[in-house]
Amino acid sequence: MTMLIVVIVIAAVIVVGIPILIYNSLVGKKNQVLNVFGSIDALLKKRYDLIPNLVSTVKTYMKHERGTLTDITELRAKAVSGKLSDDERVDLDNKISGMLGGIMVAVENYPDLKANQNFLQLQGAMNEIEEQISAARRAYNAAVTDYNNALEMFPSNIVASMMRYERKRLFEISEKERENVNVGELFKSE
Amino acid sequence: MKTLEELRQFYDTTLINELIVLEAQRKAVVKKVGIAAAGILAVIAVVLIVMRGAMAQSAMFALFPVVFGLVVLGVITHLMARGYVGQFKDVVIYGIVKFIDETLSYSKHGYIGESVFRACEIFKRQPDRYKGDDLVAGKLGATEIEFSEIHAEYKTTTTDSKGRRKTHWHTIFKGLFFIGDFNKDFACEVVVLPDTAERFLGRLGQMFQSWNIGRGELIKLEDPEFEKLFAVYGDDQIQARYILSTSLMKRIVDFKKKTGRQIFLSFIRSRIYVAVSYNKSLFEPRLLRTLIDFAPIQGYFEDLQLAVGIVDDLNLNTRIWSKQ
Repeated sequence: MTMLIVVIVIAAVIVVGIPILIYNSLVGKKNQVLNVFGSIDALLKKRYDLIPNLVSTVKTYMKHERGTLTDITELRAKAVSGKLSDDERVDLDNKISGMLGGIMVAVENYPDLKANQNFLQLQGAMNEIEEQISAARRAYNAAVTDYNNALEMFPSNIVASMMRYERKRLFEISEKERENVNVGELFKSE
Repeated sequence: MKTLEELRQFYDTTLINELIVLEAQRKAVVKKVGIAAAGILAVIAVVLIVMRGAMAQSAMFALFPVVFGLVVLGVITHLMARGYVGQFKDVVIYGIVKFIDETLSYSKHGYIGESVFRACEIFKRQPDRYKGDDLVAGKLGATEIEFSEIHAEYKTTTTDSKGRRKTHWHTIFKGLFFIGDFNKDFACEVVVLPDTAERFLGRLGQMFQSWNIGRGELIKLEDPEFEKLFAVYGDDQIQARYILSTSLMKRIVDFKKKTGRQIFLSFIRSRIYVAVSYNKSLFEPRLLRTLIDFAPIQGYFEDLQLAVGIVDDLNLNTRIWSKQ
């Protein structure tokens, strides 16, 4: 008789316990995605903070790129103002990335600037923040993949559909950004 | 990076003269050891003859004098060869290190300290016995480096049915241990370990790996070749990827293939630790064969070059971030 009770208890623990474990795991994965997304935001802000410093350092040297520098300052002000939708923010950020990249390439034409201590430090800081943002994006994609996997694989897909969880999108660059950035075009707007 | 041809030249012009001098020393040591061996053999023979009677009862009695004799011979050889080994390292290994890079320092008795070994987070077992030698240190380009041979072991004691206690020694790590200044600043800890579970069990293996208590979170990276060879643990998902960029992962894979051995890495407080497993001792001179031979010199050179080459192989001199 006791044997039967033990078996029933164990079965109950398994039947109830496993869905609980799966539920918790799904919630953990969903939150991890949000967590990393928040970190990306923080890193983007750090990058925006570097822009005014960059503009003032290179302004006196880079006479030909004045137009782009003004554009970047404007775009940055827009990004920091915070009145944008998620999609607009991503779009804006991509634009700023393109322009920053263009400026860093154009620096090659200014040997005085390249030797400037201030600029070199700034360049190091910019490279670092770019690499951090890239790392954060990779971490985001990993978190999203983990979450999407759990959503679609058996047996967690059963629990997930009950919780009405939906697939999330990976970070991808838009088709437009995939075309090589034409640096010459960037600086024609003078 | 020095080439093999340059080494050949160095061997032919400079090194060979030193080797000839050492060769005389080696022959003297071999002669002494030979005499000692003959003496011990004679003693063993006498003991065996005397114990004839006891041996009739059990062959076991024959073992004791033989084993004892071998142990004594081993100790005597070690003591006699010590001076010769020291000379060899001072001349040959020192010479090769300086040939690779003038600015590097070599210390034959030096080794990476035990506290550093414990702090690198790669090997969780505390060593009960720790020794090493052949410490090389210096700065290559912008990167400070330090490496030595290390042999770390732990012991287990077993008590058998008769109450006799036996101590067994197990190797935690034996091989080359390298520390370098990393080219990025970071505050987290990341450990890269050889991956066995994933290779055999795939996704299930990954699940087991994520249960590894005592290590940080499992970090799943995108490079499939890297993931097959290594399992990465760290305490920060983003910082771990900042350190392990896609290009660094590829370089680590290439480096592992180059060594053909098991390697472990860790990244702590802006430094990189690399442990390359060897099952033999490096930089030791041969006793029973002639020293006037290019092949072992090439061997020492390649082993040293492997360690020194970590700086270039992992691109540690590229300093384009805020750390210089």
